[in-house]
Amino acid sequence: MTGGLRLEAPAGVAPRRTRAERLALAADLRRVVADGDVLSDDVELEVYGYDASFMAQLAPSVPDVAIVARSEADVVAVMRYAAANGVPVTPRGAASGCAGGCVAMHGGIVLAMNAMNRVLDVDAPNGQVTVEPGVVHARLIEVLAPHGLLFPPDPGSSRMATVGGMASTNAHGVRAVKYGPTGAWVLGLHVVLPDGTLIETGSVGSRAKQSSAGLELTKLFVGAEGTLGVVTRLRLKLLPRPKARALVIAMFDVLERAGEAVQAVFRAGISPSAIEILDARSLRAANLYRPGLGLREAEAMLLFEVDGNPAGVRWDAETVVEAVRELATHVEWSDQEAQIARLWEARSVIGAAVGVLRPGSARAYAGEDICVPVDRIPEALRAIQDLSARHGIPVATYGHIGGGSLHPALLVDGRQRDDVRRAIELADAIHLLALDLGGTVTGEHGVGAARAMYMPREHGPALDTMRAIKRALDPTGIMNPATIFPEDVPPTPALDVTLVPGGR
Amino acid sequence: MTSDHRTAPPTVEATPFPYTVAARGLLENESRIAEPLPAAAQALLDGEYDNMLACVRCGLCLTSCPTFVVTGHESEGPRGRIALVRALVEGRIPLTDGLIDREENCLACDACTAVCPAGVKMEPIQVAVRAAIEIARDAGTAPSRGLVASAIRAVVLGWLFPSMPRFRAVVWLVWLYRASGLRSMARALGMVRLLGMRDADDLLPAFTPDFLVPEGQVYPAAPDTRDRAEVALFAGCVMSTAFGSTSHATVRVLQRAGCDVACPAGQGCCGALNAHAGDREGARALARQTIAAFEPGGDAPVVTNAAGCGAMLKEYGHLLADDPAWAARAARLSSRVRDVSEYLATRDLPAMGAIAEDTVVVAYQDACHLGHAQRITAAPRDLIRRIPGVTLRDLPDKALCCGSAGVYNVTHPEMARTLGDRKAEAVAATGATIIVTANPGCQLQLQASLARAGSRVKVMHLVDLLDAATAPGGRP
Repeated sequence: MTGGLRLEAPAGVAPRRTRAERLALAADLRRVVADGDVLSDDVELEVYGYDASFMAQLAPSVPDVAIVARSEADVVAVMRYAAANGVPVTPRGAASGCAGGCVAMHGGIVLAMNAMNRVLDVDAPNGQVTVEPGVVHARLIEVLAPHGLLFPPDPGSSRMATVGGMASTNAHGVRAVKYGPTGAWVLGLHVVLPDGTLIETGSVGSRAKQSSAGLELTKLFVGAEGTLGVVTRLRLKLLPRPKARALVIAMFDVLERAGEAVQAVFRAGISPSAIEILDARSLRAANLYRPGLGLREAEAMLLFEVDGNPAGVRWDAETVVEAVRELATHVEWSDQEAQIARLWEARSVIGAAVGVLRPGSARAYAGEDICVPVDRIPEALRAIQDLSARHGIPVATYGHIGGGSLHPALLVDGRQRDDVRRAIELADAIHLLALDLGGTVTGEHGVGAARAMYMPREHGPALDTMRAIKRALDPTGIMNPATIFPEDVPPTPALDVTLVPGGR
Repeated sequence: MTSDHRTAPPTVEATPFPYTVAARGLLENESRIAEPLPAAAQALLDGEYDNMLACVRCGLCLTSCPTFVVTGHESEGPRGRIALVRALVEGRIPLTDGLIDREENCLACDACTAVCPAGVKMEPIQVAVRAAIEIARDAGTAPSRGLVASAIRAVVLGWLFPSMPRFRAVVWLVWLYRASGLRSMARALGMVRLLGMRDADDLLPAFTPDFLVPEGQVYPAAPDTRDRAEVALFAGCVMSTAFGSTSHATVRVLQRAGCDVACPAGQGCCGALNAHAGDREGARALARQTIAAFEPGGDAPVVTNAAGCGAMLKEYGHLLADDPAWAARAARLSSRVRDVSEYLATRDLPAMGAIAEDTVVVAYQDACHLGHAQRITAAPRDLIRRIPGVTLRDLPDKALCCGSAGVYNVTHPEMARTLGDRKAEAVAATGATIIVTANPGCQLQLQASLARAGSRVKVMHLVDLLDAATAPGGRP
């Protein structure tokens, strides 16, 4: 499947620059950027050519200039300049994305937002916080804790993901099953539009927690992956921090029973704050990576987290245990914070830690974020295992089963031409599987460039509506131009590659 | 791993595939590499290539990295540094001033290693890349560091560290400089500032000479010992001289914990500073000297009171892995090494007494080479908590380096000062009156940073605190 890619660059995007043009561009930008850093050394630019995606590992794309923005004024100045001169701009947070969404595939400017990382105002009485986009999620949680407040979305990548990146991909994370995605917690945004205009969505200067005033622009920019403008400030809704939580751990020797267990818990009237699944390979990886965990071997493990008040948490946990007891080979629960934290920590690093399963191989972030209907999870897991065997690429799968979100982790030896090719084909097959099962190719990481080719099939004519919105806001196509829309992604030279030069 | 990964570019054929290969990188129109790396430099980096490839670029390390936290630049973070070395070893970018600068800005604090879920180890990459840089400099294929800097470097690494008699003599001179009034005079005349040495001067240790010279002596265990054990003390260069009183305290605490403490002759500096300054061969020579000195001690634990030395000693197995005559001996020594807190956690200590009349709030700063490199965080805290009347507090951002990092605070004063100031603020936030750490460099850096902030918080080595708490009859 090649998604009908076009070979020429999209309208308004200039061809790659020569060295002299790049230096001139950087010199121009140094005149307009007041607070931030304009980087143009080869060494500086080399490291702005990637994110965590397998695609960027195979095909890094170095920008013409990188800007570490340090103020809203910087961003306005950069966008004004870029609009006037037709220079593509690619916003970037932690670059922990898995789909090339912050890689400047048409060159131009990478606009790094990670240094705009202040928590501007914790407004406890109004249950909200105003932050800059570069704040790392774990840091925000830390800052809010002494106020007894919580920003509920909780990505597995809490320690790297920036809040701006979370909003731009509408990240879901482990607690979305109860609290919803990031978008549900964004009250308003500052956005610098592609022409350099700064707007505030969610009503100017508002501290209201709800609004029905006008078109819902906040929702438009959430999940837009920087294709419509640059988020420079976020007003986020908060909850009181729950006083207690507990974790139920259930092991299964049959995948289907793990699926049934999720249904049984919902039927019992419990709304867990998280329901996670780890398959047999993920369990093995967790045990290898954190030998102290001592998790049992099983086909699958489910983690149910319940939160609330101490008495209610106990009741919820016991009800979950009762609901799954018949289906599981082993079930236990704990409200010991140290043990819960240890398990969650292991869960949060499992994505990159699965490399321990196959020495010489590393995790390849490709086909890593499908979402299927909750009742088809066991079917999807089995199909992924079959595809893994057929393509000869080991896959460990884990995910937020409560929402149907699955993260297959492909293990690839980047030196082996054949391994790389099979991994690419496997990722494609996993994406198609998700669509066949009535799901989506991305549950929470975003489309980026890597998944753009599936958009026509996933959206049909609705993609044209998205294009119309994109054209209205970004008529010259300078705003993160190789993301979401397949016709904007540059051509695809070869399948026959390795991750390293001279590989076999 | 041979160097075949830089020989041929990937074949590009017309097979359609769903990923975009941007073969049109920025550098394709430019001369790829001005000078190839010398073969020896290439071989060193090849040895760490698998380690670099393990990086999946997830970005988890970024917020752990002091230089990334301060600058916000990708090239000043672990992920960027590894990408740059990888591009260098693959022959995609040349060894420029810019690249050397980014790599040498690394504190080698190993905070990134400690959090990396993919198992990448930064320390050996830094040792290899710094050695490779020096090889290229010697071969004239990398920008030189200038005559004065080269001369200082040659004297310190090649003349001072390899010889303990010389080292002791220099420490005497430092003491004289401080004690004789020469320092006050130099400061008053503005000479220190004139030489650009203010930060370095601030870091000079205050001490009375009380050297512990290892000459094969054995300090016997306390007389009432039941479970007697033998240990060998690795005394180190700075710890046995400028921090000689702490080393004597270490011996006393070990004696009270029932140990016969041997101080084998022939030992000297561990080589950590050489390794981190690109003098890998010098570090290997010191490693061989240390191994030979401790081999007569059989399997007795080798105890050290400096986190930096401990981390280096535990790394000998890797450092000498490609030396057939020494690899096994090095691995054996590494397996015997224990930080003093790690070792004491396994021993019965005498009942501890209060160290002051009132209760004391103590904060503990993990030395990077103890917390990150050796993953020892619980043992020192448990020991401090056992002292009556002591309340232990953690520092905010406790995992962030204080800026000491060996001689980093001398070579990179500006970054070190920024990190030191942050640390001083963190110490103030705890309300502690004593800040405890377990490495000489951290002690000096904390002292200098706290003094700059006008703080009166006292900096102590863990064993000095334990010495006071376990002293017979107690201390005020």
